[in-house]
Amino acid sequence: MRPTSRFILAGALLLGTTLLTRAAVTVGSTNVQIGGFFSQGYLKSSKNNHPFEAKDGTWDFREMAVNVSTTIGTHLRVGAQGFAQKLGNYGRDEVLLDWANADYNFRPEFGVRAGRIKYPKGLYGEALDVDAIRPFIFLPNNIYSVVRRDFSASFDGAMFYGSLNAKQAGSFDYKLFYGDIAMSPKQGVADLFNNANLFAAPGVQSLSVEKVYGVAIDWSTPLSGLKIHASYSKLDQAVATGRFLAVPALPLRAEVSPAYTTVGAEYTRGDWTLAAEYMHEDGPVAYQTQPASVFSVARQYGTRNYYASVARRFGEKWELGAYYAKAKNAHPAATDPEPARHLDDWAFAIRYNVNEHVIVKAEFHTIDGRYNVINTPRTPNPTLADSMSFWALKTTFVF
Amino acid sequence: MKPFFLRLLALAALTGLCVVAQAAPTLVGNKNLASEKIDAATVKAVFLGKKVAWEGAGRVTLAVLKGPIADEFLKGAVEMDFGQFNNYWRRLAMTGGGTAPKFFDKPDDLRRFVAETPGAIGFLDASAVDASLITLNGN
Repeated sequence: MRPTSRFILAGALLLGTTLLTRAAVTVGSTNVQIGGFFSQGYLKSSKNNHPFEAKDGTWDFREMAVNVSTTIGTHLRVGAQGFAQKLGNYGRDEVLLDWANADYNFRPEFGVRAGRIKYPKGLYGEALDVDAIRPFIFLPNNIYSVVRRDFSASFDGAMFYGSLNAKQAGSFDYKLFYGDIAMSPKQGVADLFNNANLFAAPGVQSLSVEKVYGVAIDWSTPLSGLKIHASYSKLDQAVATGRFLAVPALPLRAEVSPAYTTVGAEYTRGDWTLAAEYMHEDGPVAYQTQPASVFSVARQYGTRNYYASVARRFGEKWELGAYYAKAKNAHPAATDPEPARHLDDWAFAIRYNVNEHVIVKAEFHTIDGRYNVINTPRTPNPTLADSMSFWALKTTFVF
Repeated sequence: MKPFFLRLLALAALTGLCVVAQAAPTLVGNKNLASEKIDAATVKAVFLGKKVAWEGAGRVTLAVLKGPIADEFLKGAVEMDFGQFNNYWRRLAMTGGGTAPKFFDKPDDLRRFVAETPGAIGFLDASAVDASLITLNGN
């Protein structure tokens, strides 16, 4: 599609969603529920293409989802959600199965969910795509990366969950899960490997994860509005394959097994919401050709990420938010200059609720450092600047 | 103060009291909930989607009336205002975590829905409750 056509289409979508004000779906008296959202945004970055290609400004910034669910009998619920997105050169508006599962809730303390399930990581990991519930367009990218969404959006497997009433001590919600993750080299997570500049064009050809498992606990404390979160999860043998850049005739295999430990807190009081999280990410990474004698490298990688955010509502229409997020390379190479070892991100956001279904947001980021700012064919940054900024506009229709 | 103004003041105070009394949200349910034990902890678990089934009355169906009455009820029941409650359920419904409540603009529509739906629970202004529903204590 030519840029002008793309501009017109995106503009029409933006206008259309803003005008659609009363399209909530009702399915009469049946117990079938239909919901979803559609969002269209505009992103412009300066100096670097980040979080995706946007130095020239782009309307290729949209997300959409539709879900259907129903209950069968007293304890069983089944449902599914399709999701599509276009983030710069990622996503291509292809519809993915975001979640699809059967959920049997025996009692508040114990339930079982099986199928494709949202991945519980951090305070907001499961709701990464649901921007209608927050003032920010982008959650802190160091913990909730939109480009690496495949690593943390959902998994295929099973989950045990429940809520334990601890009387005076509040309540504890727990989730235990095990499964694997379906991934595609077309998705953004492939650029995690392509960024190493070891794969020959067109980059990673296959992606897979052997298994993922973990636990998440949310403690609703006796202090009204205060929630404490802790979670641990591990991706075992995330493998990417392709051709070796130096000798394209040879296959190259990359493998990482990251473990994520996250602790955080959210405190809501009146119109204020404060949140802070810390995520420790660590694991081995290895690149190896076949035969291994040509090229083989193995090392430890890891990042230390944290953020603190504040948001305040002003009546029913307006909400302001800001956060500071920092990512730090825990295992930098000796030759890495200081700006390549960290990324500090200040974000300022404003949200306006046009009505119950339509939301408009604007957001500005100023960034110092270039850690995890990638250079790949889909997000080209042949020369990386040590600081940058970007701003975004986005409207969301939710039903 | 002249008697006229005293009477006017008394009338205004009485009217204010009536308005306050009328705005008191009352927990209501389908008649098949009559034998359920519903205390404050149960109400919280139900409105947060953690308890999805009654002991003997089938599946829980939530009915939520929009407007100022929702803020008053929800702050007492789940320590959230309507906006926070709406976001809480948007998150659950869009991540496969629960069946969202039915939201109503008009008390009559909510009353009819709860009366016709076994396992349904909701809240209404006390003045809008009639014999088609049962009033629940919830304490």
